[in-house]
Amino acid sequence: MTQAARAHLARVLHFIARLEDGLLVGLLALMIALAAAQILLRNLLNIGFAGSDQLLRLLVLWIGLLGAIAASRDDKQIKFDVLSRHLPTAVRLAVRCGIDLFTAGVSATVAWNAGRFVHSEYAAGSVAFVSVPAWLAELILPLAFGLIALRYLLFFTSHLKLFVQQARAT
Amino acid sequence: MIVAGLLLLALVLLGAPLFAIIACVALLGFRHNEVDLSAVAIEIYRVAEMPVLIAIPLFTFAGYLLGESQAPRRLVRMTDALLGWMPGGLAVVALLTSALFTAFTGASGVTIVALGTLLYPALRRAGYREPFSLGLVTVSGGLGLLFAPSLPLILYGVVAQQLNVGRHVTINDMFLAGILPGLLMVGLLSGWGLWENRAARLPLTAFSWQRLIDAMRESVWEIPLPLLILGGIYSGTFAVSEAAAVTAMYVLVIEVFVNREIRLAQLAHIMRESMVMVGGILLILGVSLASTNFLIDAEIPAKLFGFIKAHIDNKYVFLILLNFFLLGVAMMLDIFSALIIMVPLLLPIAIGYGVDPVHLGIIFLANMEIGYFTPPLGLNLFIASIRFNKPVLEIFRSTLPFFFLLLLGVLIITYWPALSLGLLHR
Repeated sequence: MTQAARAHLARVLHFIARLEDGLLVGLLALMIALAAAQILLRNLLNIGFAGSDQLLRLLVLWIGLLGAIAASRDDKQIKFDVLSRHLPTAVRLAVRCGIDLFTAGVSATVAWNAGRFVHSEYAAGSVAFVSVPAWLAELILPLAFGLIALRYLLFFTSHLKLFVQQARAT
Repeated sequence: MIVAGLLLLALVLLGAPLFAIIACVALLGFRHNEVDLSAVAIEIYRVAEMPVLIAIPLFTFAGYLLGESQAPRRLVRMTDALLGWMPGGLAVVALLTSALFTAFTGASGVTIVALGTLLYPALRRAGYREPFSLGLVTVSGGLGLLFAPSLPLILYGVVAQQLNVGRHVTINDMFLAGILPGLLMVGLLSGWGLWENRAARLPLTAFSWQRLIDAMRESVWEIPLPLLILGGIYSGTFAVSEAAAVTAMYVLVIEVFVNREIRLAQLAHIMRESMVMVGGILLILGVSLASTNFLIDAEIPAKLFGFIKAHIDNKYVFLILLNFFLLGVAMMLDIFSALIIMVPLLLPIAIGYGVDPVHLGIIFLANMEIGYFTPPLGLNLFIASIRFNKPVLEIFRSTLPFFFLLLLGVLIITYWPALSLGLLHR
């Protein structure tokens, strides 16, 4: 990859990261406001607005998956790490490369199949609630798993680079 | 099948993210049963169909926000003004404030960071021995799991409801059931605190109304919070998700706009950080909705039950083994993954032995309380080690007396179901 292309890629990734974080924070703010407003309106004025319950539940999925994307980016996914920290550096990096590829592969498979699901819902014209089309509500599934796969592919390349450096050094 | 299982186990041990392992199990399972793989997406989407899950991001956010504000400092000052005059009072102060804080922040290690760093020097200054003080703050990080509205109580209710095992489990049942066992744990440790320091002539501060009034005035905005939330939930005024919404909004307004301890720029950062934790949990929950379905279709819990029943037919022997097993799980897995992965397997088995699902939940969480500080993976052990700059082994040694006390608590909880179920009349 040329220097220019690499710089361009870095800019694109940075932009995506800002977008992910912005959406995450924005949707959480919306959730807090909506959930509180709903209680006030329901108890004080005895009114509710159509679809707000469903929207809140949908926000849980979106916020959860956006949080999961952010957790992947920070490499903070929940794991159970007993062996790897006792391994020599080179072996640990090799293992990590394998795990990155595995995680990227599984996430990409889920993303692909979620994409097929969303596409079929689009074709069927299903509605999630009120006038929100189902495909739009479900869109976060392929997006999130796709972005998580991308993150682990990036981890794979950087760990592979470290591994090669380590192998050359010894 | 067995080869795939062993390979996945190896990947788990080598540190693969748990969500990827569970998703892989779900994909393989659906493939094996010749179900279209897009079913995985349909299962994960079920996260958007459970109203109670709304509580998870809202409570977590509120907890992170409280942790970043000066609320922990005020809480310690107020409890100290209330109880500091008692011999051993500061130990009780530490336990009570930690339990309350953990219940509200979802037991994520925030307690040690937010409160432990205040309580540890205070305990040392008051003349408590070093290992006692260290052990106390480490252990108290997990105390409070059993009190509403702790996230693990909610999550157990969510997972149990998904399983549809005959006896219904509501979140409110869990909240009621946790009260007495939680008080037992706090009581046992408080008793130890009083006994341990019986000989030491600690300089006591005399009780002063003025000090208490000052402390209360400082915390005037936070004092209504537990009353509002717990009162609202237990009286049936609020559903759990509504209580979470009120908490999040209330904490946001008082800490950002009234007390002005969190700047707006900081707020976005706190929102993101809290949702990283929520994302990790909900992702595992989502993919495990898919894998659990496969496990049930393949009748794996039923087969496990058949196998165990063939060897053990006594409920009490089963319960003792269950405790051993759960302690093992608690040492290895963080509490949220443990709940999501193990409850679907254990609940049908426990019901087969006539254990009430609510009681099982309390047994489960009581074991997890211990697992928080047991090696090799007890989260609080590491947080305390970093926070107080002490080797993990020293921290572990300091927690040993607490370990045996809580173990005693777990046994009482296990063999005295009425302690958990009495308030529920079931």
